[in-house]
Amino acid sequence: MNYVQLEKLGEGTYATVFKGRSRTTNEIVALKEIHLDAEEGTPSTAIREISLMKELKHVNIVRLYDVIHTETKLILIFEYCERDLKRYMDVHGDHGALDPITVRSFMYQLLKGTAFCHENRVLHRDLKPQNLLINRKGELKLGDFGLARAFGVPVNTFSNEVVTLWYRAPDVLMGSRTYNTSIDVWSCGCIFAEMISGVPLFRGRDNQDQLLHIMRIIGTPDDRVLRKITSEGQTESTNPPKQYPRYPKIPFSQVLPKASPQAIDLLERLLQFDPSKRITAADALSHPYFTGSVPLGLPTPAPGSMAPPAYNYPHPHAHQQQQISQQQQQQAHAQAQAQAQAQAQAAYLQAQAGMGHYGMQYPQQYAAGPVQ
Amino acid sequence: MSTSLYPLASLPQIEKTPSREDGIPDGLEEELRAYGCKLIHEAGILLKQNQVAVATAQILFQRFWFVTSMKQFGIGDIGMGALYLASKLEECPIRIRDLINIYDLLLQRKAHIRAQAMASRLASTSAHPRTEFKYTPMSYFGNTFYELKDALVVAEMQILKRLGFNLTVVLPYNTLVNYLRVLGLTSREDVCTKAWGYLNDALQTPVYALYSVPTIVCAAILLTTRHLGIGLPSAPENCWWELFDAEWEDLWNVCGYIMRLYRERTSEDHTRVMGMVAKKGVRQWLEEHRPAGGEGH
Repeated sequence: MNYVQLEKLGEGTYATVFKGRSRTTNEIVALKEIHLDAEEGTPSTAIREISLMKELKHVNIVRLYDVIHTETKLILIFEYCERDLKRYMDVHGDHGALDPITVRSFMYQLLKGTAFCHENRVLHRDLKPQNLLINRKGELKLGDFGLARAFGVPVNTFSNEVVTLWYRAPDVLMGSRTYNTSIDVWSCGCIFAEMISGVPLFRGRDNQDQLLHIMRIIGTPDDRVLRKITSEGQTESTNPPKQYPRYPKIPFSQVLPKASPQAIDLLERLLQFDPSKRITAADALSHPYFTGSVPLGLPTPAPGSMAPPAYNYPHPHAHQQQQISQQQQQQAHAQAQAQAQAQAQAAYLQAQAGMGHYGMQYPQQYAAGPVQ
Repeated sequence: MSTSLYPLASLPQIEKTPSREDGIPDGLEEELRAYGCKLIHEAGILLKQNQVAVATAQILFQRFWFVTSMKQFGIGDIGMGALYLASKLEECPIRIRDLINIYDLLLQRKAHIRAQAMASRLASTSAHPRTEFKYTPMSYFGNTFYELKDALVVAEMQILKRLGFNLTVVLPYNTLVNYLRVLGLTSREDVCTKAWGYLNDALQTPVYALYSVPTIVCAAILLTTRHLGIGLPSAPENCWWELFDAEWEDLWNVCGYIMRLYRERTSEDHTRVMGMVAKKGVRQWLEEHRPAGGEGH
């Protein structure tokens, strides 16, 4: 293998992650080892993660550099990030709460990455602080696409066993299987509130309890909305409609006294009970919370904490520049990789231009020796 | 708008598929592809699997043969692997054991039919007794199961690997509904049913790995309207398919692929294909049909 395996970073439900170093460039990477189960074949989480992530190239999405396929395991080679947002909040936050400048930067990057997924017809479906990775430069990146799926015009109902409970949208909790990009937007809202206050916003024990937690804060929606959402969870339609207690809405300014009025307004739009009313990730990026100037008198980050993010978020071209520098790094990294990337990019541009010929020239690294 | 997130075979891949490179003639490869897809289709029905997963499996199966030769992997195994993989992708997973039992049943039945046909051909008199097919289930912990399971897991992995995890499949059904609406044909139930049927039959051909969805949908509409004698604007500068960005030549090619499915076949054709479900059969056929001259014996 072209990578030296270093210390273990963590163990997930279906994979073990190690730190690794490239033998050719000395670059530090994350190695995600997936054991191939003889009972089930290749895990569907791994299949999804690879097939979707290899197309998603963006500063705010963890890059999948390579895949090594051996007889007994699959090793995914990812861009290395120091820690996840959960851990970041524990270390740098004040009882978990981050300062407003960092919150705004992370939130912008989170929405940027999410919008990019949606633009490329990918639903992440499992956004939560543990799946958002932060590197030393203060860049936030979406990771763990094990539950993600591609969507087109919906021809199929999706599974409703998605998204970790606390970040799960109410329509999914009510059994909707026709959810859309709005499911990720809800999770973004929950993460936003959590970065501001330091604690998860809705902490339910189970499906039903989670729904009640949500209603207790954002209020029980009117019957028309409830009926509409219930009718989308077809399988449950045989049961009589559930009765929900009528909770009034608690203003977010009361729940999150630290948040600025613009932050509250954005949160309001992200956490709409009715999925069709939820703002899109792309639209959220041009919300005044981001486009307005930084209010004076905000506490500056404590000395010794992470440097502010490397780019100026309202600047439209900043992240492109970063992408370019990233590409340059990779070209140095390995020539074959650069070729594959250029191919993929050319194909992507063609696809964008509507030409429709991806070609089946698969990158070399996927076509290693036979497995048998 | 990018409707083309799905990969299509490149020109060199189309001009010379790996199977053809190994000496399998064009027509035979086409027959084997169609047969493999029929097996997937039958297995899908017996497993009560969603059509979405079945169609996805058939398209992955067709793509696979643009990067791999049938001398290397059998259409039975790859079909099984494709159906298993597609069921995961479409979030309607099936149990390995159910899939294996179904394939075992289908293959036993085909083997029986083939044996019957060959026997009646040998016995020149038509008095050859026909025996009923009786399915013998495999034993729960028997070798057959483990062998098939290994083949299935390998097939799934090979599909992933050789397709480089390019698994995006776009199905044509929504597009058909939209186009029929635009053309004002949705009130004709016969049109809808027939066109839908052509799209499904086309899954037995390589067209989904060769042409964009709009082209295939236009071909299905063209076949339908021609068969039912419905006129659509087709004079130059005013051709209905141009509305959907399809080219006449491509349409015509897709129609050719579909119509070739319906041609008459002799019982020899049938038994020949049935004997080549596994790569062993393909290799044997290649042995027997080695070109004269060449390397000799």
